[in-house]
Amino acid sequence: MAESADGKVLVIPCSGIGKVHGLIAREVAFQVADELQPEQAETLCLALLVKGEEEALQAVRTRPCITVDGCPKLCSFKNVELAGGAVAHSVRVVEAFKDHKGAQPGTATALEPDGWTITCELASGVATEVAALSHGEER
Amino acid sequence: MAEEPIKVGIISCAGEDIPEGTISRLAVRRVMELLRPGQAVTICLPLFLAGNEGERDFARNFPTITVDGCDKRCAQWGTETHSGPVCAALVVTDLLEEGPALSGARSHHSLSDGDRAAVELVAARIARELDQAVAAATSADAGPVAASCGCGCATSLPAGELRLDGRCVSIAGLPLIFQQCRTDGLASDDPNLGHRLLEAVRVYYPVPAEEEAAYQAALIAAYRASSPVAGATSGGASPLLASDSKGAHSR
Repeated sequence: MAESADGKVLVIPCSGIGKVHGLIAREVAFQVADELQPEQAETLCLALLVKGEEEALQAVRTRPCITVDGCPKLCSFKNVELAGGAVAHSVRVVEAFKDHKGAQPGTATALEPDGWTITCELASGVATEVAALSHGEER
Repeated sequence: MAEEPIKVGIISCAGEDIPEGTISRLAVRRVMELLRPGQAVTICLPLFLAGNEGERDFARNFPTITVDGCDKRCAQWGTETHSGPVCAALVVTDLLEEGPALSGARSHHSLSDGDRAAVELVAARIARELDQAVAAATSADAGPVAASCGCGCATSLPAGELRLDGRCVSIAGLPLIFQQCRTDGLASDDPNLGHRLLEAVRVYYPVPAEEEAAYQAALIAAYRASSPVAGATSGGASPLLASDSKGAHSR
């Protein structure tokens, strides 16, 4: 497993642009990196991995990664693995909707209160994972 | 029968690490929902690697605009590498050089008035590029000979268009490719003409494997029609529908 000593845990969302799930994934990453675990987590442009930028490749290969994907295509998860990274934890936003049947989360452009609720729940779970990874716990 | 409107693809980098990534993503959404509803389609950039062949065909199926947050141009690079050439490539930091200033927020719930103004500015520019892409595609469909592509996308390469199974395919630099083939001595009656033209075009333009035969046939016809002695070797309408006036071939 990648060592976290050299840097923060990477929380990498898919940022899918077609559905609300992608926006939730994106907002989860921002909540964790900007609010819940700013000292232990940061995000990384997934597009940089698609581009194959060396710095981004090195980051995912040497640091623990948490991927947050909106839909079952799992773009973040797959791209991190294709880049040679080890995904320590994978979040699937679509799975969270099973616990929120009938929720009105908003759109790919803006979240409604239900969408923010789901975002906060997922972010809380990711923050816990970040803390564990930062303390070197095997998951 | 009503013609299906031309749709333009828009691909945002949506870079998570920088505020401009949020601007690029929101600007694309604004174009799709408010400024040009029904005229634009999008796809998640990471799908080019994670998705299937159909998804990688995106930029071959639609004239495509990329919108990048920074000058690393990940969306442009990713699209051109994994899908096909783009007709316009915008960079948010370039568009916002003279303001408005961004707050630095990445989350949607933290956006400032300046951030929202930036989204509107970028979206307006995307919409203009979209209109030009539609106009170019429309003019390409309109007649047998067009003096220029008319899209204003600042490309310096003359484009040539092939007719494949009733649809038009624009290939940047086709007249120059043909010119180079002639310089290399490729005769219009060469027994391997289709194969050699296809290989030359493939260097610059992705050709789907299942369409190789159609491309070869269209390229042969276009090459012969654009030959300096075309009158002696071909008849009827040229399948090379449009080329820039700077194109080196003669008709």
